[in-house]
Amino acid sequence: MKIAIMDGSPKNKDSASGLIAAALQAELTPAADCAVCHAASHDRDEIMAALASCDALVFVFPLYVDGIPSHLLRLLDEIQNDVATVAPGAAVYCAVNNGFYEAHQNGVAMELMKNFCVRSGLRWGQGLGVGAGGMVQAAPIGRGPLANLGRALSAFAENIRNGVSADNSFVEPNFPKFLYNMIAHMSWRVQARGNGLKIGRLWRFKISEVDEWVQSGKSSDINKGGK
Amino acid sequence: MGRTLILHDLRQSDAEQFLPRDSVKYSLFAAAPPVRHCAGCFLCWVKTPGRCVIPDRGADFAAIMTKHDELIFLSRLVFGGLSPDIKAVLDRSIGFVLPFFRKLNGETHHVRRYDKSPAFRYIFYGVDITDKEKETAKKLAAANALNFGSERFSVSFFSSIPESAETLL
Repeated sequence: MKIAIMDGSPKNKDSASGLIAAALQAELTPAADCAVCHAASHDRDEIMAALASCDALVFVFPLYVDGIPSHLLRLLDEIQNDVATVAPGAAVYCAVNNGFYEAHQNGVAMELMKNFCVRSGLRWGQGLGVGAGGMVQAAPIGRGPLANLGRALSAFAENIRNGVSADNSFVEPNFPKFLYNMIAHMSWRVQARGNGLKIGRLWRFKISEVDEWVQSGKSSDINKGGK
Repeated sequence: MGRTLILHDLRQSDAEQFLPRDSVKYSLFAAAPPVRHCAGCFLCWVKTPGRCVIPDRGADFAAIMTKHDELIFLSRLVFGGLSPDIKAVLDRSIGFVLPFFRKLNGETHHVRRYDKSPAFRYIFYGVDITDKEKETAKKLAAANALNFGSERFSVSFFSSIPESAETLL
């Protein structure tokens, strides 16, 4: 069988989606001919060739503003009329990861994907929601805090291999939510300091300050390395 | 600058024909031709707070949002959500909120950067809109409003651009 995994992260490497896509590919190979391609690629012919004759299309992407990242959404919009012709009968699966701990917040994006299936005449397989997606970049999938994710990916891969449709599944790390939130907050502060940013600037503005700060060019000074 | 900001995905000729010309009340932001897509770098949170670093007009939108009481998304309904052109602008505007988390209705959401957020009004147009797509759009609007700290939102559906634009008049 042939399976295409579409990596919907705008990043080419080290993204949570890329790591999840690679783990899925490892689960699906060698039982299936399984390739990963990037939605951010500008070569539409290459993407259509990757999808051609597939039995399953697996979209792996980060949740952006409660939905599908715009570049992947654009691709889906463009291919909705042709995809069932190049991959007739294919089942669509998606694994969506978000920065919040709660995996169920990926539910709306899965509905968008399901509606894409209906519009394009493909068959809906299953959605997998991955909460605290950023942890994938910090710990190995399948071990320690990501043991749950490893199990969820194996079950998801099993469904893909068998071409079955199943209820959406949601997975969160074996790691306490308060600790995840604390580490996330710390990480934002560390990154901001690394960019020479005073922490106060990460905090609230009054709308009256917008002109002074965001629109005055001070933000672009920082962009050039100033204070 | 108008009190209401309209982010729309109409072609220029349609925008000129159908959108309100009252510039006291309305500000318009054209999502087409599309701005570049979000690169997922988070620099709008950790380097140039509140502003996207990609140098095109999409970088201005978050700041423009702060100047309005109401934000209208006039969008083609795509799979029960915003169109790719509108979504590209919105993905580039997450600097409007802070990276930090707060608990709201028992869920994690973002902390507001500013002391208020515009009300969100979704006006979708499309042919053969299904009930499922409407259901998804309502859930999406509710989730967006929570994450952008907007206290009010509404969603409506129309079968054509002229009909959807008419509700603005």
